[in-house]
Amino acid sequence: MCQWCMKHGAGGKWYLNARNYSNELAEELNLKAYLEEQWQNFETVYIRKIMGFSSIGLGYKLKMPIIGRVLRWKAEDMIHSESKNRVPLRADGHFGQVIPLEEAKLIMMNLAAEPIIQNYCMCRMMQRGVKDVCCINFGCLSGVIEKLPRFIPENTKVRLGREEAVKALDEQNKKGRVATVWFQPVPYVNAICSCEVPQCGGLRLRTDFGLGAVYKAEYVADSDPDLCQGCKACISQCQFGAIKYSSTLKRTIVDQNKCFGCGLCRDACNFDALKLIPREGVPGIAKMY
Amino acid sequence: MKKTKIKIDYSKCGNATGGIDPRNCSICLRVCDPAVFLRHMNLKAEELNPKDPQSWQVTAVWLDLCTHCGKCVASCPEKAITIL
Repeated sequence: MCQWCMKHGAGGKWYLNARNYSNELAEELNLKAYLEEQWQNFETVYIRKIMGFSSIGLGYKLKMPIIGRVLRWKAEDMIHSESKNRVPLRADGHFGQVIPLEEAKLIMMNLAAEPIIQNYCMCRMMQRGVKDVCCINFGCLSGVIEKLPRFIPENTKVRLGREEAVKALDEQNKKGRVATVWFQPVPYVNAICSCEVPQCGGLRLRTDFGLGAVYKAEYVADSDPDLCQGCKACISQCQFGAIKYSSTLKRTIVDQNKCFGCGLCRDACNFDALKLIPREGVPGIAKMY
Repeated sequence: MKKTKIKIDYSKCGNATGGIDPRNCSICLRVCDPAVFLRHMNLKAEELNPKDPQSWQVTAVWLDLCTHCGKCVASCPEKAITIL
């Protein structure tokens, strides 16, 4: 379990704590107004100047001596901010974690607060110009998004029942998308996204710049050398470059240092050779979220 | 290594002077493999209004990931993009 489980997990994983989904929490933190402002201006988050720096050319800026380190510290501080002075325009306190499909379904069936809606993915809209109905939002955020026409899907249902939402998650999984659950803002949980590198805003910050906008899952993929037949079906599923085929061994090998634990490779495996094991059980990567 | 700069001519890309609406085009966003571009509301607008076509524009944000492959320059219908 990561530091956020310790803080907001009530003894378990943070995204399995029912309190983090509750309307009471949303009201206590006055989140409706916060999320309205955040979502109205979400596309501008990377071009806004924070302490005189925007995210334009972020990779160069983070490499600058001293200033780069200060920027990284400040960015991490913003992403994980729990302060009372959070700024919705910067999406302070908005970060998430990769989860396997079964946990996404569990959240959808048991924890997600009504109403549950599906809407156009904001990241794909702003970074690819593509309208794709794939994000599932719930609780207090649903009402906020429903008022913003650019996110509302045409010719399809907006509000979903729990079974419908689970079906939608299944379809996204078949497309090879990584399920992620999001604090928005921490500790309130209100979204399950189906992400894809590189157009996911969160995974971009994590994979290209090493910022903690998305944490790796509580699990990690583990391959069984006896069961793997070397069909390579899993390799195309991995968005993080963690699996490769070894011609020497005539089977696939998993780089657990790179694995985010999303489980897409396991779902694609034709021979049940891949399974997800708890990250905590692998000493070398146990605390590497 | 030299830092990449991508210049977009907003008199050609954008609705302000009869150019195209980036929301209808967005070709550069899709041809770019590393997804360097961002389509967003213009911060200079007095009031951000998503319904106003003039408030939308494209900016190259993730410049360090650009490989100078030139696909965006070649595919821009308005020839508005220059890589420096």
